[in-house]
Amino acid sequence: METTKTNSVDVFGATLTRRDFVKTTGVLAVGVSMVGAAPLRGDTPKETVAKNSLNPTVSTSWLEIHPDNTVTIRTGKNDFGQGSVYTAYRQIVAEELSMPFDAITTVVTGTTNDTPDGGGSFGFLNGGSPNLRKVAAYTYQALLDLGAKKLGVDRSKLKAKDGVLSGGGKSISYGDLIKGQQLNLTIPVKGELTSIGGLEVDGNPPMKPVSEYTVIGKSYPSSAIHAKVSVKANWATDVRLPGMLHARVVHPKTLGSTLVKAGEVDKTKYPHSQVVVKGNLVGVVAPTEWEAIQAAQQVAASTHWTDWKGLPGSDKLYDYLRNEADWKSTPVTKGATKGDTAAALASAKKSLKATYQMSYMKHAPIGPTMAVGDVHANGMVHIHTHNQNPQELRGEIAKMLGTTIDKVVVHIYPGPGHYGRSNGGNAGAEDEAVILSQALGKPVRVQWMRADDMQWSTQSPVAYSDVELALDDQGKLAAYQIDHYMPAMQDDRLVGAVLAGLPTQAAPNPQGDDVANTANGISDPWLYTESPYVAEIGHGTFQVGQKASPIAVGLRDHSMRTPGQFQQNYPREMAMNEAAALAGKDAIQFRIDNLKEERAIGVLEKVRDASGWDTRPSPRPDAKNAGAEMVRGRGASLMLRDDTYWACACQIAVTPSTGVIKVEKLTFAVDPGVVINPHQLKRQIEGGAMMGVSIALLEEVPIDESGVLVEDWTSYPILTMADIPEINIEIISNPKVGKYGAGSEAANALAAPAIAAALHDATGKMVRRLPLKPAYVLDTLKA
Amino acid sequence: MFTLNVNGVKREVDVAGDTPLLYVLRNDLELTGPQFGCGLAQCGACSVLVAGKETRSCITAVSDVGDQEITTLEGLGDRWAKQKQLSAEEAKDMLHPVQQAWIEQQTPQCGFCQNGMMIKATELLESNPHPTVVQIKEAFTTSGISPNLCRCGTYTAIIEAVQHASELMAKRG
Repeated sequence: METTKTNSVDVFGATLTRRDFVKTTGVLAVGVSMVGAAPLRGDTPKETVAKNSLNPTVSTSWLEIHPDNTVTIRTGKNDFGQGSVYTAYRQIVAEELSMPFDAITTVVTGTTNDTPDGGGSFGFLNGGSPNLRKVAAYTYQALLDLGAKKLGVDRSKLKAKDGVLSGGGKSISYGDLIKGQQLNLTIPVKGELTSIGGLEVDGNPPMKPVSEYTVIGKSYPSSAIHAKVSVKANWATDVRLPGMLHARVVHPKTLGSTLVKAGEVDKTKYPHSQVVVKGNLVGVVAPTEWEAIQAAQQVAASTHWTDWKGLPGSDKLYDYLRNEADWKSTPVTKGATKGDTAAALASAKKSLKATYQMSYMKHAPIGPTMAVGDVHANGMVHIHTHNQNPQELRGEIAKMLGTTIDKVVVHIYPGPGHYGRSNGGNAGAEDEAVILSQALGKPVRVQWMRADDMQWSTQSPVAYSDVELALDDQGKLAAYQIDHYMPAMQDDRLVGAVLAGLPTQAAPNPQGDDVANTANGISDPWLYTESPYVAEIGHGTFQVGQKASPIAVGLRDHSMRTPGQFQQNYPREMAMNEAAALAGKDAIQFRIDNLKEERAIGVLEKVRDASGWDTRPSPRPDAKNAGAEMVRGRGASLMLRDDTYWACACQIAVTPSTGVIKVEKLTFAVDPGVVINPHQLKRQIEGGAMMGVSIALLEEVPIDESGVLVEDWTSYPILTMADIPEINIEIISNPKVGKYGAGSEAANALAAPAIAAALHDATGKMVRRLPLKPAYVLDTLKA
Repeated sequence: MFTLNVNGVKREVDVAGDTPLLYVLRNDLELTGPQFGCGLAQCGACSVLVAGKETRSCITAVSDVGDQEITTLEGLGDRWAKQKQLSAEEAKDMLHPVQQAWIEQQTPQCGFCQNGMMIKATELLESNPHPTVVQIKEAFTTSGISPNLCRCGTYTAIIEAVQHASELMAKRG
């Protein structure tokens, strides 16, 4: 091909470059330009993004329009099952480009060298402006410029529909506009590619008004589902490379054990197996998976570790947190702050004080973490895996090996949901696979067994909150103070690197940058704005046992669905239910009386109507805290998350003599503003709601002084189909809001306080800890 | 050497007899529908049909299978075509009504457990073409060696898909 002509024009801050080629089918490719320098996170490497794989021309671009009027989109965010990249993203791009949904034929996600922006798989709608929305909006403006020139019609006279520009009696499709040309649109971005948030598209291109939406609001199916159901999906678990070895890792005996002596393979039984030791990392490899599994079991039995007992154990955990943990080294954070709350509480006539406790929980993906590492002799490193932040993983692997990110490629495939566990780049097996591959000079597939995944992964942190509140003479909230206590919840260190003694980022600490610190930020937006006095305070500390552990491991924590906000919203909504009872008011009406925001009131009114709510104070007049006869109760909860308002009402039945709770019915009212895809949103909410019931009733991680005591689905039970409630979801389309709030996350957080309130309604007893296991429920019912 | 009868085809594999069927299917026969979830028969991600019965391939030794008919997720379409005596042309690339229902209801989230869910649904609908919700819940919770677990919480969507599959099977029957 030969260039015949080049010129550039500015489009709302983006740059459109046109090169006419002889003999080409043509393309409009949207690439990136960096706004200022963009150093990578951490100490090494010090390469700028622009020097690495982000070539702002074709192969790594965001979006391409092809001559047949089809579009390819690329995003660093890969799907973990909610399907947003295959539904909402296609709808958003189609909408901004005024094209049909089906024109967005190809969605490329995740793989570091095929996608432009990085960023973790969370917050897909990013406050209503995901990167691809702005990219599409810039592209549309460029198309208007091109069309105006080509048709000789003023751009203000052009209208777009179904990928065709019309005006002044003339029309042309986007495909015809770009045919025979190589057009590059370079758009401004900022941020750090390998950070948790990745790159962000800069500037403010004009967006399509919500009133003109035709694609957003319809229930298009996810293109990923067909592939998964028909076995056409290429899962991470399916990756098999030539010469690949299967590995299992023999993890230390405790969360603080060092290696005394690694066991040896019994070659009479496992002739092809081999032990690889690096520091405290012990791997066992074999050409076949079954031999690797068996050999690893045999080696584990003859491997010696030091003992360690540096954890408080479950029985003493809360005492340890309250009395011994260091809450002083980390500056407190403040949320809503109004007036002299302490003075108002001191002079209150009607008040209550309560403490609410939450447990460690496992993300518990249904498939344990796995990865294939492939370190080439020329220094290139390939990782095949399923991960919520491939670019951050890439940066961390480069740091571990002392190389630069251009030498590391993370290939992404579908896999089990991680629910936040790998949003900082590490799910567990990736670095171990790389270390073993480097040692052996062959591709190595590390698959954690179920027990590894339960005991050596991160967990959602334990937390507790102290609440003190007062009511005025009318029974309205007069003052409210909440102190949230939670250890650091974002440990993105590579655990294999930690064990092997290789470089990785620092454990969360008070001085840690970005998210790797011990601060407990306030993430649950304050809603009850009628209260004249409010103080929300967050207290953070180090992870339990991490500093005491000789291998710096201890109980590593990680964000999990609605992270931090769950640990703050649960105590707040518990307190609101208690406050309503103290005021002798209905729990939903009490909330409404203390709210100004119409959308919050709207979801509460909707959930009240839709659930058949019986308006009255709690507990119910015939509440019973003893006896073998089942009693019923109902409870409510409220949350604002990522521009979406959520209300939940639930009905439970409890048997006081056993403490067993059956959640019978859940009703959700959800106002995300503009609804992008009603059916997908409904499915996301259903899933989150069921996880919420599971968390509320079942999930906790018992620990002893050495580590995590759960090892499988018997010791860490989750909700089964037999125990699901009837669910009713009311989605409120609220286009006047003018933007779309986020969908799936938050659904998991609402059930717990609503169920606990229903238990109080039924029995007159408030159980102030999670999960609501029969033994804990009985402790309170009998008290 | 073992000869397995998988998805209507005789396949020879040279593996140790105690090798769990899951690894033989995935690694030797490249049938990747069944997934490794726990290796303990506690979750159902690895399920296949053995002689029509939902079986956890992660704890089933290959030597115990004998010549029993094994159907994996890959073989569900052919299984349906054979049951309905469809011609080769009609059966080409056909999905089982259960798979079709799973797509139409947009059932999976991450989808990792859904292999076992579809296998369980097929087992259920072959013996009970019109199950009630209670029967569906029983099938996925207490009928097997353990409940079929879904961490994404798609149980409601699974129930709707089983009901939809039941309708599709009745129509196509």
